Amino acid sequence: MHNVVHLDNLNKVFKLKTGSFFKRSEREIQAVSNISLDIPKGQSIAFIGPNGAGKSTTIKMLTGILHPSSGQASVLGLTPWKQRDKLAYKIGVVFGQRSQLWYHLPPGDTFELLAQIYNLKKNDYQKRRDMLIERFGLSSFLDIPVRRLSLGQRMRAEVAASLLHAPEIVFLDEPTIGLDVIARQELRDLIRQWNQEEGLTVFLTSHDAGDIENVARRVIVINHGQIVLDDKVSQMRRQYLASKVLAVKFHEPPLSPAISGISILKSSQYTLKLEVDTNIIPIEQVVNEVLKLGPVADITIENPPLEKVIAHIYAQGNKLAPDRNDNET
Amino acid sequence: MEASLFAKFYNYFLLVVKYVSCNFKSHMEYRGAFLSQVIAMFLNNSVWVIFWVIFFNRFPVLRGWEIKDVITLWAIAASGFGIADTICGNGLEIPRLITRGQLDIWMLYPRKLLPHMLLGRMDATACGDALFGYVVYIGFVHPDILHFIMFVALTLAVALVFIGFDILSGSLGFFIGNSEALTLELRFAMITFSTYPLNLFDGAVKIILYTLIPAGFVSYLPIQALRNLSLTDAFLTLLGGIGVILVGSTIFHLGLKRYESGNLLEMRN
Amino acid sequence: MKHNYLQASAKYFWIAKITMRSNLAYFGEIGSRFIFLAIILYIFMCLWRVTYTDTGATYLGDFTFAQMLWYLAITESIILSTPDVSQKVDEDVRKGTLSIHLIKPLSYPLYFLSMTFGERIVRFTMNMCVGACVVYFFVGPIGLSLKGILLFSLAIPLAFILDFLTYFTIGLAAFWLEDTRGLRIIYSRIVMVLGGMLIPIELFPDFVQPIIKVLPFSQIVYGPAKLFVNPSSQFLFTLLLQQFIWVCLLTLFMQYIYKLALERVHANGG
Repeated sequence: MHNVVHLDNLNKVFKLKTGSFFKRSEREIQAVSNISLDIPKGQSIAFIGPNGAGKSTTIKMLTGILHPSSGQASVLGLTPWKQRDKLAYKIGVVFGQRSQLWYHLPPGDTFELLAQIYNLKKNDYQKRRDMLIERFGLSSFLDIPVRRLSLGQRMRAEVAASLLHAPEIVFLDEPTIGLDVIARQELRDLIRQWNQEEGLTVFLTSHDAGDIENVARRVIVINHGQIVLDDKVSQMRRQYLASKVLAVKFHEPPLSPAISGISILKSSQYTLKLEVDTNIIPIEQVVNEVLKLGPVADITIENPPLEKVIAHIYAQGNKLAPDRNDNET
Repeated sequence: MEASLFAKFYNYFLLVVKYVSCNFKSHMEYRGAFLSQVIAMFLNNSVWVIFWVIFFNRFPVLRGWEIKDVITLWAIAASGFGIADTICGNGLEIPRLITRGQLDIWMLYPRKLLPHMLLGRMDATACGDALFGYVVYIGFVHPDILHFIMFVALTLAVALVFIGFDILSGSLGFFIGNSEALTLELRFAMITFSTYPLNLFDGAVKIILYTLIPAGFVSYLPIQALRNLSLTDAFLTLLGGIGVILVGSTIFHLGLKRYESGNLLEMRN
Repeated sequence: MKHNYLQASAKYFWIAKITMRSNLAYFGEIGSRFIFLAIILYIFMCLWRVTYTDTGATYLGDFTFAQMLWYLAITESIILSTPDVSQKVDEDVRKGTLSIHLIKPLSYPLYFLSMTFGERIVRFTMNMCVGACVVYFFVGPIGLSLKGILLFSLAIPLAFILDFLTYFTIGLAAFWLEDTRGLRIIYSRIVMVLGGMLIPIELFPDFVQPIIKVLPFSQIVYGPAKLFVNPSSQFLFTLLLQQFIWVCLLTLFMQYIYKLALERVHANGG
């Protein structure tokens, strides 16, 4: 009963009608296949995978929007697609690209409306609202119409709105999409704090590796509707996010590097692109070595894209983590 | 049990008030545009009222109908339609919500999906229609208090007919790939037929006007009810409104099953 | 060999398909026009059939039942073909594109006239074809002659120019008004009512008829439509004369407003 989410062999098959009017054919697409999963209370998990991997389909089934083709699910002890109305009181949902804030009204007005929708008691609501305003730093723009807020302010108000009815679990679907670096970090910090201090269960999807490292403790990678990795984020960081990509531009043609733990991805007259395995050599040491190769004009360090991480997982022939309940909580 | 039913009803009433006020505030952000839309609707509707005045000036009686009756018809139709889309403006948006997958958001609230979703938007021109009907009725017909109360009740019943028809025609989006054009044409037919006396039309067409395009509940029964202060006709109007809503929401929920199965996915993106 | 043949024909099927699809939008518009006009004209037919039956008259205001419906089909087609001149001029004024047009070696009003005139002719012809089909189906033909169509096509151009002049001037009002939509709606509804879109001028109260007939609105809608169902050289002559006088007056007015507008452009630098 400690599990907030329990999935048992969940499947979703879409029937797609394709072709022209005369040559109609039906194609079946397995969007989610045999996903089993338990999430204990208070855990923060990142649910990641490339576009079309089945992330949104899973979220939609967990929130009761879609019915599965087969399998069982329980969220907070309820079957989502059968008890959607009841479940709605207990969960919060944020879609990064679909706002529930009223565009022409200040966020405060949407909060009032939500209090009515969720039948919140006046005192509880006011206490909760004031706390959220303080914690999310909303007071400076609470009375400004949403259309005039920055995207970062808007997303903070958006997440606060989803927490107004004190849900036990919150689903965040690509919450940081489109945000600049600072706004993104602010939002990650807020979500992480809320998870750690309030014991809120967080279910986050993203295709930004930074979101995963900064918010979640556990990571689940899905691809083609299947779980390909279920592990601690710290473990994943060591194993799959250990490599960084270093791109360097020089003013003059550089010497050729001879550093262990790196491989050259691309090299031209003035530029160098290296992959660094930080398990073998720390990134600052590599940078130091690179500076000696010639006069540097520009330098960037990037995480490998998620697609590459997944390819990496496959390459290692990694099986599903066998003892899933062993995760940190 | 009775108390809880009443509490539920009251709770939804509060929600309606909240939504109308949010919508109104939202429109007030652009009060100039809002006002000009309201005035535009007044002018637009006036064209037809002036037509009827000219017409009845030449031909004082049309199949037993006099100028007063036709103006009343226009007033009821405009107000009924206006009230429907002032409170349930999302009725007009149903096909778009379906094809763009935007019902999702409404499904995540702990409220009955259909009524809650309908409340989500207010149509500015509809406010003009609603107001127009009342102004014309009071200005032209000079009703006594009894007739006026009856008029108010009838506009509410007629609003039910229009809301029901919005749901009905909008729900086609669940079944037909791109239904927006068809939905618009059905609505145009409904509104146009609602604004002409029913007894202009032949028997076969009359049957259509009580079923497929239920304009008869707007363009005949309410006028009879007002003319004779007949509670039976008023009751039949209300019954029609409830009937259309029931049919509409049945079709909506049948369609919703398809939506929940996700097999509509082909038309998104 | 056979394989090549198949490949080649597939290519042409593909081209045909693309061509058809790119024209579908146009057909779609005809489809919805058709439904719109069919519903409107059906209701008008029912209304006037009852009126003719109840009064027992063959002619109401010089029109037979069939002529009445043909008249209404034409007035609807004229109104439905109204182009959005005001919106475009309004936009040009607000976005400052008007001053760019001024650099070009052509007159802005004439450029606009030629552009919208062509568009309106096409849309009007399309509406009229659809309307004629519908009304033919409902009440059958009326005595159409080559002469009638010729007279009608002489009356249409000045009617469209008249309408254009007002819409263009309303668009220019954007220099002074925050929103020209109000003016536009007022004008368009006046054209509908005083132009006789829903009922011929002959059925208006007797004392207003002479006034309405000399106003420009009836010369845009009622005049051409009446000429179509009841061709008369005498009527055409009067109509053309009236249209000509109004075109001159409104051109002068438009030129005056345009001059004031240009002064503003030059004063503010556009």
